[in-house]
Amino acid sequence: MAGASFPTREEVDFVIVGSGAAGGIVARELAVAGHSVVLLEQGPYLQAADFRHDEWGTFHNHDLTWNQRQGHPQTFRKSEDETAVTLESVCDYAHNVGGSSLHFSGNFWRLRPIDFMEASVRGTIAGTNFADWPIRYQDLEPYYSRVDWEVGVSGLQGPWDPPRSRDYPCPPMPVKGSDVLLERGARALGHTAYPAPVAILSQPHNGRPGCIHCGFCLGYGCEVNAKSSSMITMIPAALESGNFELRTLCTVSRVETDDAGRASEVVYFEQDGTEQSQRARAVVICANGAETPRLLLLSESARFPQGLANGSGFVGRNLMFNGGSAVSGLFPEPVNAHKSIPATRVVHDWYEIDPNEGFYGGGGIDGRHPVRSGTPMDAALAGNMFGGPTWGSEFKARLREEFTHTAAFDGHTTSLPLFSNSITLDPQVRDKWGRPAIRCTYMDHPDDLATMRYFMDRSVELMEAAGALRIEASYPENGQDGSSHMLGTCRMGDDPATSVIDRYHRSHDVPNLFMCDGSSLVTSSRGQPTMTIMALAFRAADYINQFAQGNEI
Amino acid sequence: MERQTLSRRALLRSTLTALPRSAIVLSMPAILAACSRSAQNQLDGIDLQTLGGDEAEEFAAITDRIIPPDETPGAREAGAVHFMDTVLADQRERELQLLRDGLRDLQTRAGAAFQADKFSLLNAGQQDQLLREIENSEFFATIRYLTVAGMFALPEYGGNRGGAGYQLIGYEPQGGWQPPFGFYDEDYMNRGGQ
Repeated sequence: MAGASFPTREEVDFVIVGSGAAGGIVARELAVAGHSVVLLEQGPYLQAADFRHDEWGTFHNHDLTWNQRQGHPQTFRKSEDETAVTLESVCDYAHNVGGSSLHFSGNFWRLRPIDFMEASVRGTIAGTNFADWPIRYQDLEPYYSRVDWEVGVSGLQGPWDPPRSRDYPCPPMPVKGSDVLLERGARALGHTAYPAPVAILSQPHNGRPGCIHCGFCLGYGCEVNAKSSSMITMIPAALESGNFELRTLCTVSRVETDDAGRASEVVYFEQDGTEQSQRARAVVICANGAETPRLLLLSESARFPQGLANGSGFVGRNLMFNGGSAVSGLFPEPVNAHKSIPATRVVHDWYEIDPNEGFYGGGGIDGRHPVRSGTPMDAALAGNMFGGPTWGSEFKARLREEFTHTAAFDGHTTSLPLFSNSITLDPQVRDKWGRPAIRCTYMDHPDDLATMRYFMDRSVELMEAAGALRIEASYPENGQDGSSHMLGTCRMGDDPATSVIDRYHRSHDVPNLFMCDGSSLVTSSRGQPTMTIMALAFRAADYINQFAQGNEI
Repeated sequence: MERQTLSRRALLRSTLTALPRSAIVLSMPAILAACSRSAQNQLDGIDLQTLGGDEAEEFAAITDRIIPPDETPGAREAGAVHFMDTVLADQRERELQLLRDGLRDLQTRAGAAFQADKFSLLNAGQQDQLLREIENSEFFATIRYLTVAGMFALPEYGGNRGGAGYQLIGYEPQGGWQPPFGFYDEDYMNRGGQ
């Protein structure tokens, strides 16, 4: 599976920037359709044998997510009148073939029909850019089903789930104790916990094995390829097509345009710092909701002084993180939530919060270990999680109980698109290649904070009903300072004044430039966007292929 | 949202703010390379690469009050200071200086309170008394963080000897599991999903 090899000075049909949830799919689809494709990925091609249960390397050295340790600082500020400062992590994403689909926990909630038209049903919200999508659920449904089958999703269709054209390919994952408790609490209060759809195989599918329940999902690469990353589901088929070249450890610095204002080549650094440039007939940027706008802003020119494809001024704007709440409970018997995948049940009874509450929002609650995946180091560092000494004999005595006897009911919630929440170029800080660093400006909208608090309160009620002995509850009441969800920064729309790409992911301003990733989303999802990013990628590839075949690029 | 909320993240966000340095894609090869470097110092007969033997003795004594020995090993026996020695070699110059400055302060306090020039010479009660005085300092937060991390990190980093951390919390470091995973899901299955 060596793939093809193309000279940089000859035009290929497509250069794709980024091999993650979207880029891997677009690459495979276009290569298999017969187009010549070069995929540029800044990270290495890590595979199952490279992954280990290494908590220190994963969460403290940022082996996959990278930060200033690897020469890639990011800066953060809450408002535009502050000077941003470098934080250990801001926009957290995995730098490797497969991008963050490699290290995610794979919660694959589809959007519902309401998500696409909420602004017109619910009403616009003053001071925000809350808007309808230019497409509807039925436009995306066939592609959601392709994700289910071609990427691999486990689940069970529920009575409140949006309609689907095909059943799930794999049954739901076995329920964990933390989710039995969630279900117990939900039943007691008249709510419903339903099997969580996940991009992790409960049984063999497409030549990959089922999950072995090792518990190292969130943040880790899967050691058995049961997790449905684009690294394992898309890249091998792209390589086999014979039309596809994967160039890893290549960091893109600029998209060049020609005299006609069309994208002509993509400039990048190889690992040793050598600058290269690949000519292409068309460019698809799938670099994620932080890196895609950064690259467009870096590609400013005399013709595009605000940055490439930024006639709207919306490139990098309307950043949405999703919100969350965390409620931990201590139980009398062993839960062992550190085993298996993070979440196996979800309560979606508050998908849309009643407007009479006085604020906009919605989301879901799933059952988990209180500390990420509940792996040993994480769990111990968070101790004493219900209050009390954090060192000494009493601390030590609590660690076993907190590791084994706890569950969390976590809220995953909406974010509103605000012009001021943004990805821009830092005026001072630069990365190892000399590129201005990602500068993130973010403060959650008051409705987003109210939604997080609402979900925290619902989780406390569920926790009490489930029989927790002790409860600890929190949400980021002073606003979030980072996320692994970077959404909305090159959003889709029919109006070039208020969106960056059209409904087919084509830039409004540059006809042979496409963007597809989390940046395309118009609204935030209920906190689990990757299923939708992948469905959009299948759909985008479908149209881009049609345009190419019809000579319409 | 995969990121945890602030209070939880505050616990998990390292007090170790790293320094901008050259890129390392994977930490383990760098760390293993660092481990193979010639070592001048030892603790418990094991080579140290960053810390001197005397300061390592002092840090080991502190780690042993953070996770003390009882029926199961404490942090000293688990080799937490060797974990510290390993990770401090890897672009953690600021943290190394912070720890050294903090140790000097602690030794000054030991001299003033107990006329001892070393923390490790004090008895457990005296040690706890001094640590309580500084438990809100960045120094203590950092050594507490590294002690706990070292207790549970992969043993290749130098700590968690003999799986001491895993035994403490009842974790079996095996590749995977099959259901039932715990009491509640087993009970649920026995009741036919009720």
